[in-house]
Amino acid sequence: MTTIDTANKSDIADMPAAGAQGPVDNYLTWTKGAISWIFTLDHKRIGVMYLAGVLISFLIGGLFALIVRTELIAPGATIIEPSTYNLFFTLHGAVMVFLVIIPSIPASLGNFVLPIMLGAKDVAFPRLNLFSFHLWIIGAIFVVLSLLLGGFDTGWTFYTPYSTTTETGGVVPVLFGVFILGFSSIFTGLNFVVTVHKMRPPGMTWFRMPLFLWAIYSTALIQILATPVLAITLMLVGIERAFQIGIFDPAMGGDPVLFQHFFWFYSHPAVYIMILPAMGIISDLIAVHSHRHIFGYRFIAYSSVAIAIFSFLVWGHHMFTSGQSALLNTIFSAITFSVAVPSAIKIFNWLATLYKGSIALNTPMLYALGFIFLFTIGGLTGLYLGTLNTDVHLHDTYFVVAHFHYVMMGSALIGFIGGLHHWWPKMFGRMYNEKLGIIAFTLVFIGFNVTFFTQFMLGSKGMPRRYYDYQPEFEIYHFISTIGSYVMAAGFFLTAYYLLASLFSGKKAPANPWGGRSLEWQCTSPPPHDNFKTTPTVGDCYDFSVVRWSDEEDGYVIDRSKDPEIAPSSAHSGH
Amino acid sequence: MSGLLLHVIPAAASMLASATETSTVTPANFWMPEGASIQAGPIDAVFQFINVVNYISFALVVVVMLWFCIRYRQRGKNVEFMDGPEHNTALEITWTVIPTIILIVMFFLGFIGYLDLQTPPKNSYDIKVTAKQWQWEFEYPNGAKSVTELVVPAGKPVRLIMRSEDVLHSLFIPDFRVKQDVVPGRYTYLWFQSDAVNDPDDPTDFRWLFCTEYCGDEHWNMNVHVRVFEDEAFNTWTKEQARWLDVIDDEDLYFMAGPKIYARCASCHTLDGLDKSGPSWGPRDGMGDLWQRVSEGTGKIAGGRKADPGITTLEDYIGDGKLYGTPEDYIRSSIYDPGALLVSGFNNGMATFQGQLNDRAIDALIGMMQNLDEFNADGTFKDEERIKEAEERIKKNKEAAAEAAAAAGVTNVASSG
Repeated sequence: MTTIDTANKSDIADMPAAGAQGPVDNYLTWTKGAISWIFTLDHKRIGVMYLAGVLISFLIGGLFALIVRTELIAPGATIIEPSTYNLFFTLHGAVMVFLVIIPSIPASLGNFVLPIMLGAKDVAFPRLNLFSFHLWIIGAIFVVLSLLLGGFDTGWTFYTPYSTTTETGGVVPVLFGVFILGFSSIFTGLNFVVTVHKMRPPGMTWFRMPLFLWAIYSTALIQILATPVLAITLMLVGIERAFQIGIFDPAMGGDPVLFQHFFWFYSHPAVYIMILPAMGIISDLIAVHSHRHIFGYRFIAYSSVAIAIFSFLVWGHHMFTSGQSALLNTIFSAITFSVAVPSAIKIFNWLATLYKGSIALNTPMLYALGFIFLFTIGGLTGLYLGTLNTDVHLHDTYFVVAHFHYVMMGSALIGFIGGLHHWWPKMFGRMYNEKLGIIAFTLVFIGFNVTFFTQFMLGSKGMPRRYYDYQPEFEIYHFISTIGSYVMAAGFFLTAYYLLASLFSGKKAPANPWGGRSLEWQCTSPPPHDNFKTTPTVGDCYDFSVVRWSDEEDGYVIDRSKDPEIAPSSAHSGH
Repeated sequence: MSGLLLHVIPAAASMLASATETSTVTPANFWMPEGASIQAGPIDAVFQFINVVNYISFALVVVVMLWFCIRYRQRGKNVEFMDGPEHNTALEITWTVIPTIILIVMFFLGFIGYLDLQTPPKNSYDIKVTAKQWQWEFEYPNGAKSVTELVVPAGKPVRLIMRSEDVLHSLFIPDFRVKQDVVPGRYTYLWFQSDAVNDPDDPTDFRWLFCTEYCGDEHWNMNVHVRVFEDEAFNTWTKEQARWLDVIDDEDLYFMAGPKIYARCASCHTLDGLDKSGPSWGPRDGMGDLWQRVSEGTGKIAGGRKADPGITTLEDYIGDGKLYGTPEDYIRSSIYDPGALLVSGFNNGMATFQGQLNDRAIDALIGMMQNLDEFNADGTFKDEERIKEAEERIKKNKEAAAEAAAAAGVTNVASSG
């Protein structure tokens, strides 16, 4: 973090007077030294540390994926042994789910942006926030520790009785690590729920919150309600493994299908822990970069809550072939289809938001449009899996692998990367190279589709997942898929390069580079330690009629005189 | 719906048409592999219906997105504010209701198809499946066992009754479109029916069966071939497979094969002397065990098709010049023709095992009866050391048989080429 400490010491007194503060300090340089970061209570620094942790984990999880893809480039043994392959695909899944996607948006971008969007100085419980980050670090250490103890080859799903009987030595440490990571997630959720309830500024009613906050709020509710179930389930697996107490292993009187119920009761809602925040980011990115009032605000907000509620009722659709009763399968299939409706509503509303906008096709917006493209594919391919008889054929094949990568990576992670580009200038006060941004996006987008679209055909033609080797008829698809993964990796490495380079040599960022209207664009880039000197008054955060370009700021400014709600005369009136 | 009809009609037509090779297999397409079961048609039809819905939905989303992005692209940095609508209730309701209706239709199509997948016909041909790391074992009604391939009769509903000995597995036959997890501690069913006959003489003519639930190091290798044979070829094959007894050495037969075969007798005949619906093999009725009762001729007889009136002990039926020349003959006859002589106190409730148990199987059972003190009451053999030694010998015999078969195969190819 020392690079960031010195990244922006320049005089920022000439920041626009758009916010309520004059010349200001900045959170990056407010105090110095490693200790001032490790034990900071500042939500922005915690967000940045989470961001660093998540991105490092993403690099590691990505390298695991490249090893797996390279092994699969041709039939037969390519670079690793079957048992090593099993370790790597397990690690890839576990790292990406528990260390990357789940904390990515809420804990890094959410931590940074949420209090500022609310015009608050910090989250409701700053110490709890710091504690949740420390728990994340401890959890990550346990994951690393499990590697040193021989790794684990259970798949990220830890299905029993394999997970309680496999001889790899890292199972119990990683279960404990995920248990701890779960509490990190619960505390973050708790913090956000209280913050959104208690710390909204004057004028920001529930239906005036930026949609990102609705999404983070819905996510936080799921985190609080679902994560304890995962924690206790993994604890039970650990206990069964360590003390031979029969809970899930039929050899000791347990029931392996019970584990699947427990696991998916968390892990299906967890899918929405991953995707909802990304949907929130996309709602804001589409509106801001189209400079256009979001279409159907209430429908989008309600659909977030609807998805959060439905997410608890559909876990059984992971178990259509598990031996679960046909009646349960039917009920779960029916409820599963009901989740498709709010997702479709969101897509239609985003499209309608583009209508009559003033659409800036810059990097964050490209990621947002890419999200719509990929999430549409991810969502539509879910229909084959929610439909009972087609799922019987497709379950546990590469079709499922492709589907959830379109949702988890093509949507959740692409949303995160889009949000990262959107808020990067705000976080670090520097602009990245826009041209490289567009090139990198193109590589990632094309690479992603080449990698994962081929896997749909692979799956529907019968290739089971988690296979070290395969029949010759599948070779062409695997080959194309692996080439795609290299293209995608090139795009991400390019992204890492220009983002890091921007810290040293990037153009200084204005307070409002995109023309956003929510409160984070009204404080300086990077924000001061206290965000706002006085609690700002908010208008309609999607009313872009008052946004105009200012050459002297090299950014957008808000013409306060045109908005009666925030005009200096403080003539408050209904909108 | 036109997509659905397009697929249902050929599928129905193919069922009506005479069972020629071409009409029973739907060809592979962009998405699906060949369809070779009666389940494949309906599943592919629903898949195709969802395809049509998805192609249209996806095209709409992408075209609208690109069109708006081009039409309303920002030029320069200035915001051209056009004051588009913030919401439109009629539009919102429309794009909520239409997808809902389509999704309800989709659910019902899948649901109806799923009920068919879940409901095996009553007259199904049952095959027992045991999954373990990392092997499939298929056991046929005649006792035949196979671990290298699953061979099924053509044109008959086949039901797999599956269990696992260790962790979760899942049985998946892509060309049949069927899949079911195999769960330790429970039985699960899967059924299918295929008319897509494979050539019994061509080992390269097969379909794949995969394990699709991750089960450890060799998960990827837990695959076998599935082959569909016409009745005659199927019967020949099961008979040959039933010769699993042939690889067991004679002196090992009674404890290696005996308990496995006895498992099918155990529901009626105990070993501990307590009668169930059939007389116990153990000591009963104040006399010794079954072999003693038969060899000493003390067993009591009351009725039966071949019974002579007034004769109540076995000694009058067994011996030189009598109904059965030897005690072994009597045992075999009782298994093949249980109604010939009835043990006193029992009705004729036993089905014949003629055609299911061959001479070696009978030998194994007789050997077990003769050495009953070497077995536990549940039918397991007491001396585990001898089992281990015998397993070694079986392994060697199998390898020798495989080599012989391979050598024969090479000659065949050479002679046909």
